[in-house]
Amino acid sequence: MPSRYWKSLNERDRPHDREDHATRLDAEPDGASRRDFLRLAGFSVAGVVASSCSRAPIRHAIPYVAQPDGVVPGRARWYATTCGGCAAGCGLRVKERDGRPIKVEGCPDHPLSAGGVCAVGQAALLSVYDRARFRAPQLRGVASTWAVVDADMRSRLDTIRRGGGGVRVLTSTVHSPSARGAIGRFLDTLPDAAHVEYDEISASAILDAHLVTHGVRALPRHLFERADVIVGVDADFLGPWISPVEFTAGYARRRRQASGPLAWHAQVESRVSLTGGKADLRISMAPDEADALVFDVADIIENGRAGSGAAGMLAERLLAARGRSLVVAGSGDLAMQIRCNRINQALGNYGSTLDLGRPSQQRRGDDRAVARLLQDVRDQRIAALLVSRANPVFDLPGGDVLTTVPLLVSFAERPDETSAAAHVVCPDHSAFEAWGDSEAVAGVASLTQPTVRPLGHTRAFIESLSMWAGAPAPAYELVRRTWRETIFPRQTAVPDFDRFWDATLEAGHAAVSAATTAGAFVPATPNSNRPPAVPDAVHLVLYHKPAMPAGEHSYNPLLHELPDPVTKIVWDNYASIGPGLAAARQITTGDVVRIDTGGQSLELPALVQPGQHDRVVAVALGYGGAMTERFKTIGHHWFQSRPTVGENGRIGANAVRFVRVDDGRRGTTASGVTLTRTGRTHALACTQDHHTLTVPARLAPAGGERWPIVQDIAASDLASSEPGPVESPANLWPEDHPATGHRWGMVIDLHACTGCSACVVGCQIENNVPIAGKDEVRRNREMHWLRLDRYFSEDADGQHMASQPMLCQHCAHAPCETVCPTLATLHSEEGLNQQVYNRCVGTRYCMNNCPYKTRRFNWFEYSRDPGTEHLILNPDVAVRSRGVMEKCTFCVQRIQDAKIEARRLGVPVKDGDVQTACQQSCPAQAITFGDMNDPTSRVAVAARDRRGYTVLEALNVRPSVTYLKVVRQSSVAVAESEHDG
Amino acid sequence: MNQRITAIVLATAVVLATAVLAARSGVVHLPSNQQDYEPEQPIAFSHRLHVGDLRMACLYCHPNAERSRVAGVPATAICMNCHRFVTAPLGAVRDEEQRAAKAGQTPRLVVSSELRKLFDAMGLDERLQSSPGTPPRPIVWTRVHNLPDYVAFDHRPHVAAGVTCQTCHGPVETMERVRQTSDLSMGWCVNCHRAANRTGIGGRAVRASIDCSTCHY
Repeated sequence: MPSRYWKSLNERDRPHDREDHATRLDAEPDGASRRDFLRLAGFSVAGVVASSCSRAPIRHAIPYVAQPDGVVPGRARWYATTCGGCAAGCGLRVKERDGRPIKVEGCPDHPLSAGGVCAVGQAALLSVYDRARFRAPQLRGVASTWAVVDADMRSRLDTIRRGGGGVRVLTSTVHSPSARGAIGRFLDTLPDAAHVEYDEISASAILDAHLVTHGVRALPRHLFERADVIVGVDADFLGPWISPVEFTAGYARRRRQASGPLAWHAQVESRVSLTGGKADLRISMAPDEADALVFDVADIIENGRAGSGAAGMLAERLLAARGRSLVVAGSGDLAMQIRCNRINQALGNYGSTLDLGRPSQQRRGDDRAVARLLQDVRDQRIAALLVSRANPVFDLPGGDVLTTVPLLVSFAERPDETSAAAHVVCPDHSAFEAWGDSEAVAGVASLTQPTVRPLGHTRAFIESLSMWAGAPAPAYELVRRTWRETIFPRQTAVPDFDRFWDATLEAGHAAVSAATTAGAFVPATPNSNRPPAVPDAVHLVLYHKPAMPAGEHSYNPLLHELPDPVTKIVWDNYASIGPGLAAARQITTGDVVRIDTGGQSLELPALVQPGQHDRVVAVALGYGGAMTERFKTIGHHWFQSRPTVGENGRIGANAVRFVRVDDGRRGTTASGVTLTRTGRTHALACTQDHHTLTVPARLAPAGGERWPIVQDIAASDLASSEPGPVESPANLWPEDHPATGHRWGMVIDLHACTGCSACVVGCQIENNVPIAGKDEVRRNREMHWLRLDRYFSEDADGQHMASQPMLCQHCAHAPCETVCPTLATLHSEEGLNQQVYNRCVGTRYCMNNCPYKTRRFNWFEYSRDPGTEHLILNPDVAVRSRGVMEKCTFCVQRIQDAKIEARRLGVPVKDGDVQTACQQSCPAQAITFGDMNDPTSRVAVAARDRRGYTVLEALNVRPSVTYLKVVRQSSVAVAESEHDG
Repeated sequence: MNQRITAIVLATAVVLATAVLAARSGVVHLPSNQQDYEPEQPIAFSHRLHVGDLRMACLYCHPNAERSRVAGVPATAICMNCHRFVTAPLGAVRDEEQRAAKAGQTPRLVVSSELRKLFDAMGLDERLQSSPGTPPRPIVWTRVHNLPDYVAFDHRPHVAAGVTCQTCHGPVETMERVRQTSDLSMGWCVNCHRAANRTGIGGRAVRASIDCSTCHY
């Protein structure tokens, strides 16, 4: 029995609404003659011919004076580098065309990211071309020069050296060996100086817990691909938690594999996260209940006590997979993290699924050090504070006090709350302009190399520090020196440093020995107090969205326009409320509610989120920053347009005021919250119900059964199911239609897909897809060629989520092609559904006739917003103008390039030569693309999988995209099979 | 009334037919047709001299045609490969040598007026020495062959298939100043692709796709 999937509460609870929609589709056409209208309209075309008789404008060709070696104008070059989007340190390849980086892709052989790159990493490329960046250093808010700033800084630091007073460097996690060295050398020149790190998504409690349980303050590397049983407790590890691409790659590797035991994943969570949606068993619990549950699990596993209920079941599963299991918690509570460590230790997971010998450096932040810093500032013991890659005034609770420091230096790339209060702003390069390095996981050393000349008079952070430390050197020299002295000796494979450097620069990364000591387990006193449950209290849960993991990205319109993978809302943050709580308080989606924790309050629009626990209100952090004020003018302005920003002039509201600080650690939950309706409403832009796929009854096959859009299969039925999609015998193409040459096709594995939305941003940047703005999205006018449809389903294992990447299906019987009056969309010899922009006159018939709703219409000149952001445009893809239909092309520019290169070299196109942008970026490698006419190609093999099906198969439009069914492991079935085995 | 409508329709048809015929015959160009465009260039570079008389290969100066979508205008440094030594027509150099021999002087460096522009762009002084005060700057040529928007042309497959440069660019070896000899219209492209599929190129069978997405994406 396949699960029933629904997109929204409306659809679940009032299925007749959906029937109405279907009934409308079922109605026979009323006989109005479109053809008659066309016949008449055709005459009017004649009058348009003889206008605009000007000659084409004169265009120039400006060659190099001397063409540099290896540079060929019009040909892309690829540079290996390291992502600077967050601290995960994924490997990148940056595509550079004619001197500017235009696309970011994952580095396929990188030991952490394994070829994937997340939405944030790809969108971060826009940071280079951001027009609001600082172009020059600033002294007390006025643009200045580096010479003046350096003189000023030197004299101020000399005063501090003589007069005393603390100096602190406050940063987010720094795992760059060069930057750590530069900070250290700078601090050594000052009497009372220290480096303080903190992370906006803090893992401080995990590090502190390991100090207690293992004697080292370190974050173990989580190896999800080795785990047969994963229990996550409010840890969104497929979302923004620690290292999303690395974890998704490991997690999905187990889900894609054809043989071997299926991994089983249980997620205990209060809100609805991406990770919880993928779990085989999802347990919805308020944070206090989850604390008690982990206590019980620890108690059962450590003390061998018999358990019952959820705790007993989880413990039984974990014990059955000793050494092959993993328990992770996202909590900021030290006691909880210590319990987790003790469970993992008792299960023997250290050394297998948790690696403390080569620990992760992706989170180094120490919340207690930050708390001490804030106290020192309050006590006026700090004379100077240097802030790099952090915005503490915005994202630290009580961070306002930092503006009182006598000398506040900001290294921000663009104006933010901290730089606004800073006395000196020394703008840093963007990650694509600077030399740098990182060691995200001990032993994985990688380099960052510039791919474009700095666009403004910016300077690398490490250059500024070395200048003030009295030993000025360019960043390249600093990085090279660090590598010669500290990284190169840690390997023996290459004896010559220059060769080692060149090889690392080419590959982007190098494996070296880990210079750390694994901690030994210290049997600390177990925390014997079972955490008390607060039965009726409503909890506030603060989280970060996968697409907006930190406030530092809130300048980025690509990420604001990217629908949240779970709620599908764009351009806002909101208070998510479970359906039960919403019904009790009579709150509906869009009502503005006031959240009050006693000391603090905030007004936000409400969103009723199915699956969320009824004692929980969830609010995303990272919104409401000063950087979002720029979006006042985004989008097309016409008489009915409404602004993208809210009433406060910004995107969303900043909920950092609710972050609780206990014992110096930041906690993201609060209990005892009151929720009141304000009576006002706020329109949220949600893409979820925009595109509903259904088959009209009169077109459905005999029996009238409508086949589900998302299909799943029980793990126990896998072996016995029929292979591949079944094609109807009715074929529009003649029998003798040649099947030579290529026929491009795609296979998408819905079981591997997590919904992370990296593909959406990859497609958007590759194909010059414009940003429409909130108001246009509200009017169903989002422009993404590739969208992720999110469906929920419920069974005994809780609520599941399925994300279905939906793009042009390049149907062999394409319904759009037959209705185009100008033949602007038609079929190619290679099975592509082509869209010819020059021919399109914008009738939008194709859009109406597309059963998959994947066509996008340019209602306005979305792309004509002038600014340096245009430099990111891909010169190989046309920029569409107003009145033109567009849609996924299967990245035809990449297909053409691969074919042309193969022809130039006189070789055939090999399987894997063409990778679409979505396929390349997918961290889960859920997308396969290639030639279906080659029976040995990976895509043809994948399409014959037992799980294969095509969406809306009943229509017999013969799509070129095959989906692989979601595999459902019923917890009961797994338990039985384990007993059998 | 009906007669009047018929007359208007007929008159429109006649005007349109005349316009189309005139455009087809090459007497008048429609706005988008730049055939016979022959703009003046910043330096009077002669393809007739270099390709026609001196028999230089096209790919010597335009090597990117083989490996990039754009053939490109050569970097100024490519010109200097020869013009470091060739600074004026041979006759002018001989005259100066004779004059100097008569006067018993060392001959002066003769630089023709057009090559002076090249040396200026390279930042070279009268004695062809570079000086830090005059950095080289690129020459701003005027593009002759401009394709319409929304079309992606790539040189690589054409060169690889053995299409000669002259097939599209005309007899460049006879041109003092480069002129656009083809109309670069879609019909012109597609007709050539169809013909190539029928007859092959240089006796070799080829597959020249006429799919829209070959050029439009």
